[in-house]
Amino acid sequence: MATVPKQIEIGSDYKEKYGFSVPEDYIFKAKRGLNPEIVKEISWMKKEPEWMLKMRLRSLEIFRKKPMPTWGADLSVIDFENIFYYLKASDKQSKTWEDLPPDIKKTYDRLGVPEAERKFLAGVSAQYESEVVYHSLHEELSKKGVIFTDTDSALRDHPELFKEYFGTIIPPADNKFAALNTAVWSGGSFIYVPKGVRVDIPLQAYFRINAENMGQFERTLIICDEGSFVHYIEGCTAPIYTTDSLHSAVVEIIVKKNARCRYTTIQNWSTNVYNLVTKRALAYADATMEWVDGNLGSQITMKYPSVYLMEPGAKGDVLSVAFAGKGQHQDAGGKMIHVAPNTTSTITSKSISKGGGRTSYRGHIKMYPDAKNSKSFVKCDALLLDDQSRSDTYPYNDVDAENVTLGHEATVSKVSDEQLFYLMSRGITRNEAETMIVNGFIEPFTKELPLEYAVELNRLIQLEMEGSVG
Amino acid sequence: MGFTEETLEKTGQGEPDWLRERRRTAFAAYERMPMPSRTDEEWRRTDVTGLDPAKFATLEHANGHKQETPKLPAGVIFEPLSLAAHKHRQLVEPLLFSALHANRDRFAALHAAFFTGGNFLYVPDGVVIEEPILRQHFSHEGGTTVLPHTVIVAGRNSRFYYLDEYIGEEEEAGYRSGSAEIFVGEGADVGYVSIQKWGRHAWHLADQRARLEKDSRLRLFNITLGGRFSKTRVEASLVGPGSSAELKGIYFASGEQFFDFHTLQDHQVGNTTSDLLFKGALQDTARAVYAGLIRIEKGAARSDAYQANRNLVLSEHARATSIPMLEIDNNDVRCTHGATVGPVDPMSMFYLQSRGIPATTAKRMIVQGFFGEVLERIPFEQARTLVETELEARLG
Repeated sequence: MATVPKQIEIGSDYKEKYGFSVPEDYIFKAKRGLNPEIVKEISWMKKEPEWMLKMRLRSLEIFRKKPMPTWGADLSVIDFENIFYYLKASDKQSKTWEDLPPDIKKTYDRLGVPEAERKFLAGVSAQYESEVVYHSLHEELSKKGVIFTDTDSALRDHPELFKEYFGTIIPPADNKFAALNTAVWSGGSFIYVPKGVRVDIPLQAYFRINAENMGQFERTLIICDEGSFVHYIEGCTAPIYTTDSLHSAVVEIIVKKNARCRYTTIQNWSTNVYNLVTKRALAYADATMEWVDGNLGSQITMKYPSVYLMEPGAKGDVLSVAFAGKGQHQDAGGKMIHVAPNTTSTITSKSISKGGGRTSYRGHIKMYPDAKNSKSFVKCDALLLDDQSRSDTYPYNDVDAENVTLGHEATVSKVSDEQLFYLMSRGITRNEAETMIVNGFIEPFTKELPLEYAVELNRLIQLEMEGSVG
Repeated sequence: MGFTEETLEKTGQGEPDWLRERRRTAFAAYERMPMPSRTDEEWRRTDVTGLDPAKFATLEHANGHKQETPKLPAGVIFEPLSLAAHKHRQLVEPLLFSALHANRDRFAALHAAFFTGGNFLYVPDGVVIEEPILRQHFSHEGGTTVLPHTVIVAGRNSRFYYLDEYIGEEEEAGYRSGSAEIFVGEGADVGYVSIQKWGRHAWHLADQRARLEKDSRLRLFNITLGGRFSKTRVEASLVGPGSSAELKGIYFASGEQFFDFHTLQDHQVGNTTSDLLFKGALQDTARAVYAGLIRIEKGAARSDAYQANRNLVLSEHARATSIPMLEIDNNDVRCTHGATVGPVDPMSMFYLQSRGIPATTAKRMIVQGFFGEVLERIPFEQARTLVETELEARLG
């Protein structure tokens, strides 16, 4: 960073500023636990078509049959019977900002949603308690034929488009948590960008978890038709609670010929959330898919955004940042599956561990026999801020194609004494200096973010760094 | 047929009781343990379903030829392992299979139960042997099992070089290993080279493991050329501060050969250095799997570890998988790793061809250059020349 970040008084009033929770007020609250009756109830509440109910029930079966993953983070403490699988905050969708219930507005105020973001809020679908309550489609988008809605409304309003793609990229049997999500999903975003349409402003959604022990199982589906472009941003903050909650989302994206899609995430769940997310995109001829993925919060995150490069010329990009503080385990990374010839991919991972936190990079590059002349490059850098923290790198590289080039590089280091000395000799305190170095370390990530998010991220890092070392 | 207790007792004939007992324990482990399955992470990419060691239950004793053993200084013990077990129990008993554990998997157990031949080298404190010790292990027939085991003990501040050469003369399938345990004492400096040239139909499963004490240095070179299937684990535990391990590998696979390497750089204490580089070229329909791990324990501050795997894919159908892993539990370290898989650089080919060099020669020159980086690091002349000659013969 070129300028010295202004020291802001965040650490002292963290609880007040971010640790809020507004009183629960629900129209409908399903019972705890997971069984066919609850799934039927959710589907009935949402007035869903028969095929969706069947799919949910089938997925529940799959979820029950699949074993828990034995690799990665320790998931044994999740108690699936002690989770609310569906909540609905208000029975009617709001039309404008003014119509939003005051409680929710208050939530945004307390979050300190940046000014620029509020400006865009007209185009935001803000998720509060599992279901989108506020939704206002920008007129211009509407005119261009862009659909930007919550996934529940999409099922109702665009059933054919929905049925064509839903669950085709990540089928319920893909993994245990994809099956769980398909069984109980609720909320999330649905985006359709027609042929040749470029959406110039990023589409944003704010997700929130609020009820204690509440799982959030949003489902996002993005379809970029030929030659289109869209940038979707999801940012998450969550209040601090004492018992574990589960967040298990599924994100499916299709990027058709010549189209480009960028999906940006800043994940900052409170440190008791288990964040187990499946994200996958299919990129067709000359299409570009970019995942920009920042993981700061949660107790455990297991998330490996992937791109399947289906046709010649497809390009996949993952830029991932993970920050693990005390008690946190960020098991993140990316997957690039090269199916067609002349496809390219890059994965850049930056991870920071502090105060006994653990970051793991887990990645997979697969080149199928048809993926001739493809190229892939992976770079992972890890920064360890103290001697209690841990960093792992598990890259899997399988090459079954001819004439391909694959590279992987990784380094693990601490904040160098030279850098610290240089900054401190100029009168900067140790803590400030370390914060600057960490912010500099993740700069390749921050510079890809819209300004207001970059500012927010720098503030979050500052907050995490406060009172850390020295 | 298969491996029986009778075979076991026959193998151990004439050996001291403690060793025979150890063989029995290992055999029990072999009997008890299942074959690794493809659901085990280590074996996911390595298919051993076609291997039934019991088919090769005839043991071939490969005590090997001592060739040109230099005149060894006083106090140096260099004997067949079974003999050393008798004569130097106090040295052999605590170390044999202390680095390589018989119960690690079925193949390790088989090796520990039936190892046939192999040598024990003990170099006392302060002894320096200038001439390298060269050993050859032969297999002559197909359908047999040959399991040589080497134990090397380097006393304080000793310095020497050792070469194990595994040579197969048969054309049929067989079961082979060629394992080594190397104990590098304080301040010692050991150069160890193994060249695996078993027959092209052999199954080869071997473990090489070293333990490095304070301020010691090991240079270990693994050259893998033979076998239809070859799986080797190369592992070094740095247990003393100031120790440094250089682990280098060269492999050249052609035809239908399948090579698997698992490496471990285990930094248990601080101020330790490890430097690993495995380079391989793959021709025809050959396949290679590399998986390596750098493990830095919590207390191992100021460790420096490097790990790289480079694969040169020379044909359209050759394949390589590369998995370099890190597990870092201390912040005050420098760890870097890298992996590449790729064809011969077309620009280099163009450059050479534009100077009138035919394509095949150009390709050979590029491959030679590719291996050069590791070749020139081989610590002693004899081994270097041998590896060069072998590679040249294979490059054609």
